[in-house]
Amino acid sequence: MLEFIYSVFDAINFFLKPFLSILAFYVLTKSFLSLKDNRPQKSPLIMLKGKKSDNSIPVMYWENSIGRSKSSDIFLSDMTLSRDHAVLYRRKKGWFISDTDSKAGVIVNGKKIEKPKILNIDDEIKLGSDKFLIKNTTSYEDEYDLASVSKKIEISRSSGQKLLLLAVNFFHFCLAVQVLFSKIKKYKKNDANLITEYLSTNEIFDVFAPFLIVFVSSWIFFFISKFILGRKNFEIESIGIFLSGVGIILVGSEKLEDIYMQAFCFIIGFFGFCFLVFFMRNLENMSRLRSIVTIAAVLFFLLNLVLAKEYNGSKNWIMLGSVFIQPSEFVKIAFVFVGASTLDKLQTKKNLGGFILFSAFCIGCLFLMRDFGTACVFFVAFLVSSFMRSGSIRTVILSCSAAVMGAFIILNFKPYVAARFSVWQHVLENSQTGGYQQARALSYASSGGLLGIGCGNGSLRYIFAGTSDLMFPTIVEELGLIIGIVIILMIAFLAFFARNSSEKCRSTFYSISSCTAAAILVFQASLHIFGSTDVLPLTGVTLPFLSLGGSSMISTWGMLAFIKACDNRTYFYSKG
Amino acid sequence: MKNFRARSILLFLLILAFLTGTVFFVYELAVNSENWALKPYNEHLGANSLSDAGKILDRNSIILAQSINSRRVYNEDEKLRKAVFHLVGDEDFNISTSIQNSLRAKLFGYNFLTGLDVPWFFKKTNDIALTVDSVLCKFAIEKMQNYKGALCIYNYKTGEILCVVSTPTLDILNVPLDVKTNKDYDGVYLNKAISGTYAPGSVFKIITATSAFENFDDADKIKFTCEGVKKINSEKITCMNNHSQETLKEAMKDSCNIFFGDLAIKLGKQKMTKTAELLNFNKQLKIDDFLNTERSVYDVSKASEAQLGWSGIGQANNTVNPVHLMTICGSIANDGLAIMPKILKDTTNLSLKQNLNLQNKNTQRYMSSETANKLKDIMFYTVEQTYISNYFENLKICAKTGTAEVGDGKKPHAWTTGFIDDETNPLAFTIIVENSGFGGRISAPIIGEILKKAVE
Repeated sequence: MLEFIYSVFDAINFFLKPFLSILAFYVLTKSFLSLKDNRPQKSPLIMLKGKKSDNSIPVMYWENSIGRSKSSDIFLSDMTLSRDHAVLYRRKKGWFISDTDSKAGVIVNGKKIEKPKILNIDDEIKLGSDKFLIKNTTSYEDEYDLASVSKKIEISRSSGQKLLLLAVNFFHFCLAVQVLFSKIKKYKKNDANLITEYLSTNEIFDVFAPFLIVFVSSWIFFFISKFILGRKNFEIESIGIFLSGVGIILVGSEKLEDIYMQAFCFIIGFFGFCFLVFFMRNLENMSRLRSIVTIAAVLFFLLNLVLAKEYNGSKNWIMLGSVFIQPSEFVKIAFVFVGASTLDKLQTKKNLGGFILFSAFCIGCLFLMRDFGTACVFFVAFLVSSFMRSGSIRTVILSCSAAVMGAFIILNFKPYVAARFSVWQHVLENSQTGGYQQARALSYASSGGLLGIGCGNGSLRYIFAGTSDLMFPTIVEELGLIIGIVIILMIAFLAFFARNSSEKCRSTFYSISSCTAAAILVFQASLHIFGSTDVLPLTGVTLPFLSLGGSSMISTWGMLAFIKACDNRTYFYSKG
Repeated sequence: MKNFRARSILLFLLILAFLTGTVFFVYELAVNSENWALKPYNEHLGANSLSDAGKILDRNSIILAQSINSRRVYNEDEKLRKAVFHLVGDEDFNISTSIQNSLRAKLFGYNFLTGLDVPWFFKKTNDIALTVDSVLCKFAIEKMQNYKGALCIYNYKTGEILCVVSTPTLDILNVPLDVKTNKDYDGVYLNKAISGTYAPGSVFKIITATSAFENFDDADKIKFTCEGVKKINSEKITCMNNHSQETLKEAMKDSCNIFFGDLAIKLGKQKMTKTAELLNFNKQLKIDDFLNTERSVYDVSKASEAQLGWSGIGQANNTVNPVHLMTICGSIANDGLAIMPKILKDTTNLSLKQNLNLQNKNTQRYMSSETANKLKDIMFYTVEQTYISNYFENLKICAKTGTAEVGDGKKPHAWTTGFIDDETNPLAFTIIVENSGFGGRISAPIIGEILKKAVE
């Protein structure tokens, strides 16, 4: 009898496992094909009609630099202009022009402007020696295929999005079924009657509880997003839910208590996400808040340094009541925020001084906390952000050489980091000493094969940090290499998406912040995946969305908010 | 805004590195997963990691190890278990060259695609048949049990290893508790025939003679004079006796150190090294593509003239592996063509591709046919004219004994290596008995009896 039941489990699992991999691929392709619809805008938003030259200049972007510098979006070869003369940009209220410290100034309808000035159709702007009239694109319809473009954006794919979310839910449900099988098998190995006993206990609820939490909250998220916030798209959120859910169900399959915090932070993370996306819609607020956010981040880090006690070799935790908080995770959000800026601000304040100082402070604090992994993440975020702001290769080279020196100092003075380096690529020979975790990670990851040994059956989770620092090998062990690769592709595609949106989004604020956030996600995932599998000599970094860790979960959703904000369809207001 | 996509190049590079790293990891996993997955600390394998593994059989289909009811079961004969212990291996994978360690993925039926969780209706374990004759091994271990050392016998026409034994050994079903601390069990987890190397002593004179025949047309006419001691600069080479003037043939029979020292010096570093490397010194020998022997070492790059002389006698810093030495004797018996040893019977259920590989790689020319025949002649003369012929009775044996000094006031290791010059019993052999005293007095009678048994 027992043999028979187990054989049935085996048989179901045998079909379930390839099905899971296919489903994961479906979620991946479905969400990103839908995101790919976000094509670059080929048609102009408005036109500038030159009075003297009598040619029409199309205005292609939501923020346009004007000047005689060749890299300007609206390039005018007029010697009386400054290199970066002005910025023409769109906000909710309409089109604005802002003088970015030009020599000759900007004159609208005969008046020199001091502050950004809102523009109306047929307004006359004097830039250098020429005058331009603001014109609608309607009179240029023959040249540009306007109708088709606007239609494409209007299409809302609500039914497709529900299907996608259902696929995500179904994936999670199948994982829960695998957990059930594994629990029954573990419960009492030798007595068939005990299976019915098991099924009658409360534990059956425990098995499905993580799934139910994710399921219910995902639909609440969906309705909030659709009907309260009026968002047209849900793909990015679906990917976040997919990844977070896999982590919650995987960890929760052992003990339900382990995931209370994780699930709570998942929900907090989503609300934080919604708040951030909502909050960032209004770009006028951003520059005002920058200094407040900066000060808050600095204080948070200082608080960390004062209050932290050493735990597992680093001091990046503080206790609030009975809860551990990792301030560096929240500062990440602030860091991305502070690094971003709108084009008109970028052109007036060119130097990076303040931002470099802030970055150096953050990274310095992380060194003091001995959290070198996160310090690296901040450093990469700094590189991406500062290069996007300035476009200066010199900054990048200078920073990199500083980083290399820093790395040598760490290796010389921190024996714990050097010890990890010494067993790098030799973890199997040091399987009882320095390579203990990695050797097991490799062994268990290869036990999984392509399809895994089933959620809940793994052994790596019982190794120290198995569901945080070694989460990726745990996933490969239990869910298989294919799903591991799908997870990698999801993170990579999110980053590709951020990059693709960087030109056609509504402000450089969104492009800088989303690329920085994507870089943080990708780099952190790299450190985690390659550190835990001994491709790189690093450990102690969490896998975004999946690893056990509340602060990390919240901050990852924060990163996702920046990517969401960059998507053109997020803030949907009509053309005008 | 138009240059912001270009400015996000760093992000693009990051993604690229991320994906490249992933490809690298997947590649590493695909290549190494057998090795990684079947580590003893992998708890999916359970307490008994070979509980569902296939059988290991000897050449006559005697079962050496098998799994019954999720337990690993070994042959019921204690002496036989001891004899094949190093071949079969234990379940903690202590012996790296054992079948249960090096072919465990095949025994287990593991592959990278399915991982370890293969439902029973899909699982396929592999049985592995060896070329070894376990009864002969048992006989060999009875003869060897009072000594530490190793011996190996193989068919120099087919390459099949018939017997490979290493002592000390133990009974897998009765592992002594003090195995890690007791001096008597030093090296118990090492198959010395495959993974051990020793100073060659006089058996290296075979290699020096090979070099002479390959390099000098009149090698059999070369004469050197032995006066017991020879001074070279401030160092000296000593001999057991005063052999006066001798040819190579006589010198081999008498194992004259002065002669071979002079011969090595006459050949010079370059020619000696070239011959040694042609004979696979400084290289690992492959057995069936999955076992590597420990490499034999011949390195005179920094040697003085006297040390070069000593290297020709096998007493400088050079070392030799027993299985490797056996292939050299096999090549002499087989007209200079060395057949590489193999341990898997062709019927073993391995992938076709691997079998094809074995066919291609398993021969290598060590020396010319003339050299081989001259050496054969000399090695026969060496046996015929000395006391060791007594130990071989009716077999036509060509052999050379050797004594490897170990210092520390301990008795030297004794070698005997050679082959049966007989088409119907084409066997080559090597035996080393540790700390047993001079030359062939201990090692030759042991191997003599085992060969007699093998020929039966």
